[in-house]
Amino acid sequence: MNTLLTKREGIGFGVVFFILLVVMPVAEATKLIDPFTLNTWGKYLCYAILAISVDILWGYTGLLSLGQALFFTLGGYMMGMHLMLMIGKLGQYKSDLPDFLVFLGHTSLPTIWKPFYSFPFALLMVILLPGLLAAVFGFLAFRSRIKGVYFSILTQALTYGAALLFFQNDMLMGGNNGFTDFRTLLGMDLRSPGGQRSLYLATGLLLLCIFLFCKWLTITKFGLIQRAVRDSETRVLFSGYSAANFKLFVFVVASVIAALGGMLFVPQVGIINPSEMNTEHSLEAVVWCAVGGRGTLIGPIIGAVSVNILKSWATRAYPDWWLIILGVTFILVVLFMPRGIVGLPDQIKGLLNRMKRKPSETAEIPTAIAP
Amino acid sequence: MSRPLFVLLSLIWIAFTGEQVRAEGTPQEIISKAIAEEDAEIQASQIKSLLGKATPEVLQLLRQWKDGEIYLYTDAAGSKTVVIPEGEKDSEDKQIFHGLSDGRILNDAEGKPLKLGSSDVESADTSSSSRMAIKAVMDMAALLDTDLKRRLQAIQNIGLEQDPEKLPELKTALAIEKDSSAIRALNESMAFLEIKSDDPTVQLAACRKLGELQSIPSQDVLKGIIVEASAGGRPELAVAAQASLEQIAVHVRNVNTAGTIFRGISTGSVLLVVAIGLAITFGLMGVINMAHGEMLVVGAYTTYIVQNLFGEGLHLSPFGISMNIPGMNATGWLYNSYFIVALPVAFLVAALVGIGLERSIIRFLYKRPLESLLATWGVSLVLQQLFRLIFGASNVDVSSPVWLSGNWTVNDVQFGWNRLFVIGFAVIIILLTWAVLNKTSLGLLIRAVMQNRSMAACMGVRTDRVNMMTFGFGSGLAGLAGAFLSQIDNVGPGLGQKYIVDAFMTVVVGGVGKLTGTVVSAVGIGVADQSLQQILLSPVLGKILVLVAIILFLQWRPSGIFVTRSRSLES
Repeated sequence: MNTLLTKREGIGFGVVFFILLVVMPVAEATKLIDPFTLNTWGKYLCYAILAISVDILWGYTGLLSLGQALFFTLGGYMMGMHLMLMIGKLGQYKSDLPDFLVFLGHTSLPTIWKPFYSFPFALLMVILLPGLLAAVFGFLAFRSRIKGVYFSILTQALTYGAALLFFQNDMLMGGNNGFTDFRTLLGMDLRSPGGQRSLYLATGLLLLCIFLFCKWLTITKFGLIQRAVRDSETRVLFSGYSAANFKLFVFVVASVIAALGGMLFVPQVGIINPSEMNTEHSLEAVVWCAVGGRGTLIGPIIGAVSVNILKSWATRAYPDWWLIILGVTFILVVLFMPRGIVGLPDQIKGLLNRMKRKPSETAEIPTAIAP
Repeated sequence: MSRPLFVLLSLIWIAFTGEQVRAEGTPQEIISKAIAEEDAEIQASQIKSLLGKATPEVLQLLRQWKDGEIYLYTDAAGSKTVVIPEGEKDSEDKQIFHGLSDGRILNDAEGKPLKLGSSDVESADTSSSSRMAIKAVMDMAALLDTDLKRRLQAIQNIGLEQDPEKLPELKTALAIEKDSSAIRALNESMAFLEIKSDDPTVQLAACRKLGELQSIPSQDVLKGIIVEASAGGRPELAVAAQASLEQIAVHVRNVNTAGTIFRGISTGSVLLVVAIGLAITFGLMGVINMAHGEMLVVGAYTTYIVQNLFGEGLHLSPFGISMNIPGMNATGWLYNSYFIVALPVAFLVAALVGIGLERSIIRFLYKRPLESLLATWGVSLVLQQLFRLIFGASNVDVSSPVWLSGNWTVNDVQFGWNRLFVIGFAVIIILLTWAVLNKTSLGLLIRAVMQNRSMAACMGVRTDRVNMMTFGFGSGLAGLAGAFLSQIDNVGPGLGQKYIVDAFMTVVVGGVGKLTGTVVSAVGIGVADQSLQQILLSPVLGKILVLVAIILFLQWRPSGIFVTRSRSLES
C-alpha cells in the first residue's frame, strides 16, 4: 500500500505502457499498422483519461458524476478555440475570423476570443475553466451535503444546462455545429501522419502521468480518507475530517483530468460540438469504468479501450444492435461483475472455492464495493 | 335575437336617414330592379333597402352580382331582363338562363327553353356606389350573423376599417345585441370609428372610451392620435389618449401576467404528470429508474397502437418480420374515443414492463442505488433501440382529438383547450394517486413498507411483493403520462429523454417521499420557467436559469421543499 507500485504491478503496467508508447508508434512509423489505427487508438487513450476521471470520483470516492462529459467537452472547446484561430485565412471565407463568426456577421474578433491566439493561454484555460466550474458547483453541492444519487442527478442537470447554452449561437461557440476543420497546432499539420503520431504520443504520455499521479494520490493518506468517504462518510465526519473539502478537491482534480483528455481528443477527431456534452456520454464513460473494474486505476483504461474496440466493431457489423449490446453488457456487468474485468479472476476463484464448500450459496452475487 | 324587433329598428333607422326609396317586393325583385336601374343613386338606395333583410340567399345573389355572374339579356323587343345562368354549358358553349325576379326559365317564341351564348348576354356591372351599398348590406348581415364567432369577427373588421359611415350600422346592431362579449366588441368598434370623427368632443369621448374598455388593439390608433393631436395643437386630446394608453398598458400587463401564470401552471402540470410516476419509484422506493423516460414512451406507443387498432390497423416490421395488425376501421365518435381506451391500456402495459424490470433487475439492487441507476440506464438504451427497431426511428403519427384545439378567452386572457386539458389531466392523476396511496389496502402496504421495511416484514407484509406492485404502479403512471404526452408532443423513440432530467429535478426539488412536494415543485418550476421565458424572451436561457435556480434552491433546502423528518443518519 505504501509503495507506488508492487513489483508485479510494476512489470504489468510497464509492459502495457511500453506497448502503447513505444511499440505502437514505431509500428506505425515503419508502416506495420496504418495511421488511421494509431489515430483511433489515440482516441481510445483520450477516453481512457476520461474513464480515469470517472473512476477517481466513483470508484474511489463514491461520487457518481454524470457531468464528466461536460468537463471533457469544455477542455475540448478551449483547445478548439485555439485551433480555430490557427486556421487563419485558410477557412471558407478567407478571413482571419473563424468561419462561423463570419457567417454570423461579425467583422472583428470578439474579446473573449483574442487571448486564444496564444497556446499557453489556451492550455491554461483548459485547466482553469473546467476547474473553476467544478469548484463552484462542487462547493455548492458538497456544502449542502448533496450526495449519492442526488449528486448524480444534479450533475446531469448541470450538463444538460451547459449543452443548452452551447447550442446557442449567441455564445459565439459555433452553435450546434461547434468547431471543425482544424489545420495546425504549434506549427504542426494535424492531418499529416507525423502530426497524428505526435498527438498520439502526447496522449499516451499524459495518460501515463495521470495514471501515476492518481496512483500516488491513492496511496497517500489523502487516498485513504478518500476511500473512507466512499465507505462511510458519516464516520469520516465524526472523526473530525471535513469530508466536503476532500470531495471538492477530488471533484476538481477529476474535472481537470477529464478536461485534459478532451483537450487532446479534439485535435485527433477534428471536431467538437455541444452534442458531446451529453449525459449519455458521461454514462458511457461510467460504463467503461464499470466494465474495466472500478476502484482500480488500470480498470478504466482496460474498460475504455475494450468497450470502444467493441463499439468500433459492432457499429460497423451490427449498427442496429450496438445500443442493445451496450445496454445488455452494462446490465450484466452491474448485476454479475461488480468488479469488472480486473476483478474477474478473483471473482471466479471465489466462486470456485465456494462451490467446493457450500454448493447451495453460489447464487449470491459478491458485492465487494458498496457505494 | 329578436328579428321582428330588429326589422322594426332598421326600418326606423332607414326612415330616419331619410334618403331611402321605399322598395317593394321580394328581395329577388329588388335586386333585379336595382341591376336594371341606370341611375347610380337610386340603385344604391334600392340595394340599401335590403339592409337587415339579407337572408343567405340574398347575400349569395349580391355576391354573384359583384363577381359578375348575373347577366342582362336584351330580347328582340329591346326590353331588358336580369338573368342567371342555369346548368352546364352545352357543346356550343350555350346554356339555359332563368329570370332573377320570377325564377322562370327564359323561353323563345315557341315556348322552348332559350339557349344563349356569352355573346348574347352582358354581364351586370357594378358602380362604385353600388359596390359600397352591397358591402354595407353584407357587413350588416355579418353583424347580425347568428353565429357569435362570425359576428365578433365582423364587428372587429368594421372597427379596424375605421370607416365613419358604418357608425349607424353598429348603432343598430348594438341596440339589439344581447351577448355581452359582442356588446363590448361593438362599443370598441364604435369608438374606433368615432375617433376618426371631425367633432372634437366625440373624438375625445372615443379616446376615453377606448381607455375604459382597455382595448388592446387600439394602442396603435391612440399613438397615432397623440402624434396628430400634438401636431394639430390639441393638448387635451393628446392627454386623453395618453391616459387611455396608460390604462391599456396596465391591462396588458395584467393580461400578460395572468397568461404567464396560466401557461406556467400548464407547463407545471406536464412536469407533474411526467414526474408523478418517478415520485413513486424514486421518491417512495428510492430506486433511480433511468428508464422512466422509456416507460413514458411505452405508454405513448401503446396509445399509437390503440389508435391504429381503432382506425385502419397498422403495419410493423420489427427485426425483419413483417406484421399486419388489422384495425376496426371505426369512424366518428367511436374513433375519437380511442384515447379513453388507450389510457388504461397504456397504464397496464407500462406497469407490466415495470414489473418485469423490477423482477429481473432492480430487486437485486435495492441496497445499491447508484448501481440501480446504471443498470436502468442500460435498460433505457436497450428499450430505446427496441422502439427504433419496432416503430422506426422517425416520429409516428398520433392524432389528437379535435376538441383539443381552440381556446377560451376571458377578458383578453387566452385559455387554450389543450392547456386546460393538461391541467385537468394532472389534477385527475394526482387525485387518483392520492386515492390509491391513502384509500386502498395496497396504498397502506406501500406506505408501511416504505416507512419501515423490516417492521413491515415482521408484521407479515410480503415486502417483496409490495415492492413489485409499487414499482409497477409507478411505471403504470409513467405509461399514463406517455399516453398523455402523445396528445401534446411528438411520439418517437427519444420522447422519454426530453423529459427525464426535468422529471428528476421536479422530484428532487419537491422533496423525496412526499407527493405534495412534487405537486408544489412541478407548478413552481413551471411558473418560474414561463415567467423567465417571458422576461428573457428566450426559452433556452429561461431553462438554464431555472436549472441554476434549482441548484441554488437546494443550498437553502437540501432535501427539497417538503422534508421527511427522520432520526436516521443517512437519510
